[in-house]
Amino acid sequence: RQRWRSDGRALQKLPVHMGLVVTEEETSYADMASLVVWCMAVGISYVSVYDHNGIFKRNNSRLMDEILKQQQELLGLDCSKYTVEFANQDKADQVLNCQSTLKVLSPEDGKADIVKAAQNFCQLVAQQQRTYTDLDVNVLDNLLSSTNGFPDPDLVLKFGPVDSTLGFLPWHIRLTEIISLPSHLNISYEDFFSALHHYAACEQRWGK
Amino acid sequence: MSWIREGELTIIERFCANIIKAGPMPKHVAFIMDGNRRYAQKCHVERQQGHSQGFDKLAQTLRWCLNLGIQEVTVYAFSIENFKRSKEEVDGLMDLARQKFSRLLGEQENLKKHGVCIRVLGDLPLLPLDIQELIAQAVLATRNYNKCFLNVCFAYTSRHEISNAVREMAWGVEQGLLEPSDVSESLLDKCLYTNNSPDPDLLIRTSGEVRLSDFLLWQTSHSCLVFQSVLWPEYSFWNLCEAILRFQMNYNALQ
Repeated sequence: RQRWRSDGRALQKLPVHMGLVVTEEETSYADMASLVVWCMAVGISYVSVYDHNGIFKRNNSRLMDEILKQQQELLGLDCSKYTVEFANQDKADQVLNCQSTLKVLSPEDGKADIVKAAQNFCQLVAQQQRTYTDLDVNVLDNLLSSTNGFPDPDLVLKFGPVDSTLGFLPWHIRLTEIISLPSHLNISYEDFFSALHHYAACEQRWGK
Repeated sequence: MSWIREGELTIIERFCANIIKAGPMPKHVAFIMDGNRRYAQKCHVERQQGHSQGFDKLAQTLRWCLNLGIQEVTVYAFSIENFKRSKEEVDGLMDLARQKFSRLLGEQENLKKHGVCIRVLGDLPLLPLDIQELIAQAVLATRNYNKCFLNVCFAYTSRHEISNAVREMAWGVEQGLLEPSDVSESLLDKCLYTNNSPDPDLLIRTSGEVRLSDFLLWQTSHSCLVFQSVLWPEYSFWNLCEAILRFQMNYNALQ
């Protein structure tokens, strides 16, 4: 099981920001924690967790406890203290980059955040600090706060039977690949990795 | 009429349509008509041919939607990002638009007969002036029809649409027509290009890609998303039924 990093390197491309979206009514902290830890182990820098009822967000600390526990179990070390070291290629597999960041999101980070940004801009306009022609796509993008510091998600793994994103970051997912898996309950590393494999193979033309 | 294929469903198609219509039906379906160029490559024809067949398939799909009682259809015809394509391809697509919108204007009787209201959504000033004029004429000519609605997203991206809506609200504040506190989700809805339409119940993307590509991001946040691997010019009545069945399976979860 120490092959995490080599698994990540073996893929043609890895998402920089992975969204884990749960559409099932039942939420499992243990399974979500595994998914988060696998993301970090494989080398994904930004991870977000979402469910449309905001359960993970409300119980954030419980999820964090579970993640710390799984980090210990699965990776055998305390990642929060770990820094990157690549002494030589041989040792690389034993050395893990655990500098990943996690955000736990809910519907209020979607449309509501866009509305908040719009209100803030309109407030500036009312105070005559800005004019309406100042507002373009980039300006609005920078005014959104739900994903401060995070790039847009490249990949969303959607768990559950519902064929919808159920309000997950509508603005940010404009180019996101959406891969569906039946459930996050008892999810295996193999299923997780094969979704990553699927992502690595997709052709992104960017409109061209 | 060139934009809606003539003809009724075959007996088998009608039989299946009746079965499907026993369940909940989407009122508004959106299509990302992807795969024209891969289809052209597959059939060893020019890209332009692929796009032209793509338009024919749109006409046929509209007919199927009408047969199934689906009153509103929105399609992603041309993204602002598509301006990045080769000049040859972009010019070809613009010519296709000229052709189709001109033809539309020559078919007033049929437009009236089918009662199609055509709307074109996007940053239209980005388009050549003559196309803007053709579009304006088509939209004006059909604005009072209400048997069915076809929204064509042309020179469109969702982020531009949303930004435009926020800009409109900001203009309203600047003019003293609004307070910042009036800004809300429903007000933003009303400022989108799609403000005359309900949100799509079902979004279908063909050709196997599983992304939204900056299409109706706000409006489809709770829509049923169906990704189908068929290339757009090869889309069939059965593909459409399959998508509607998926919508029906998701219906309760999405209420």
